[in-house]
Amino acid sequence: MGVGTQRLDFAEFYRRSKDECLFTVLLSVGDRDTAQELVDEAFARAWASWRTVRRHPAPAAWVVRTSLNANISRWRRRRREVLVPDLGAVADLPAAEGASDGPVDARIMAALLRLPARQRQVVALRLVLDLDTGRAGEVLGITPSAVKAHLARAIASLRDDLMPERQQERPS
Amino acid sequence: MNDEELIIAVREQRTKVHSATSVEQIISRGRAVRARRRIPGVAGALAVVAGAAVAVTALVSASHPASHQPSAQLAAWTVVKQADGNIYVTIRQFRDPAGLQTRLRADGVPASVTFTGQRNPACQPYPGTGLIGKVISVRQEDQRPVTIINPSALPSGAGLQFASSVQRQGAVPGVGVDLVQASPQCTGS
Repeated sequence: MGVGTQRLDFAEFYRRSKDECLFTVLLSVGDRDTAQELVDEAFARAWASWRTVRRHPAPAAWVVRTSLNANISRWRRRRREVLVPDLGAVADLPAAEGASDGPVDARIMAALLRLPARQRQVVALRLVLDLDTGRAGEVLGITPSAVKAHLARAIASLRDDLMPERQQERPS
Repeated sequence: MNDEELIIAVREQRTKVHSATSVEQIISRGRAVRARRRIPGVAGALAVVAGAAVAVTALVSASHPASHQPSAQLAAWTVVKQADGNIYVTIRQFRDPAGLQTRLRADGVPASVTFTGQRNPACQPYPGTGLIGKVISVRQEDQRPVTIINPSALPSGAGLQFASSVQRQGAVPGVGVDLVQASPQCTGS
């Protein structure tokens, strides 16, 4: 594959997956600027190794995992562990110019960001990136059954958070 | 809103966050990544070897230290000393930290290795900033980070501490490498 063809191939991959990867990492790290920086760097690394990455079964998963790994590196450099999600900044994210969709739903985003980190990552990989349980497990280093369990708990938490009336309907 | 509608609502959010970075900017940045890889030692102040708990795909190097294992077995880690004196360390699983520590010390690198999420309490940071970048660089090989140690760049009285990231829910497994003060309790010498 020539350089020009590689570039077109990568550009198409980037166009197709940049927003999903950004949203996936945003859910994981909880901060828009951090997520953007991590994803940009991961895509740059993907381009730098495109001949290898393009053969990956799920290149977008490679990008997300590279982003999350880099986030660990950032954390270790700063010697800080807790990333406090800036819910206001997330809720204020505008839709892209010309897009017909509205801004993100602040209530849903806040509920997502209240989930434990692992559950957020599983939701992001399974529901946003549409990875199957096996691939999501590979990205996170956990078993497929653990992915299922985290997703079930996340859905239950979101249900209780976003549909409190149903929670009240439950028998005590 | 039922569960299905809830999942749809979550999925809809992904269409509302957009990256403003152009592909040209990414490609330009990718060139810088390639340039960094060609210059050992500029990989930053910290090397992170990630994904240790993920499925192992690489085969064992012929110079693998755990040579008592059958050759078809996958290695938790590999240490290979190059002719130029640099030492390539690949960590695939958080197993046998004592073996890795012994191997590094045998190759002339005062080292402490822990895979418990805790650092060796006997290790003290080596003073100064920016030095670790001269000792450690990271290269991607087969989509796996390889930590490259340049022992000749180790300052006098310094050693390396390999410590896995804190084992907590939500953390992506990783190993941090820091410069520490060499001592019998920390690095063995």
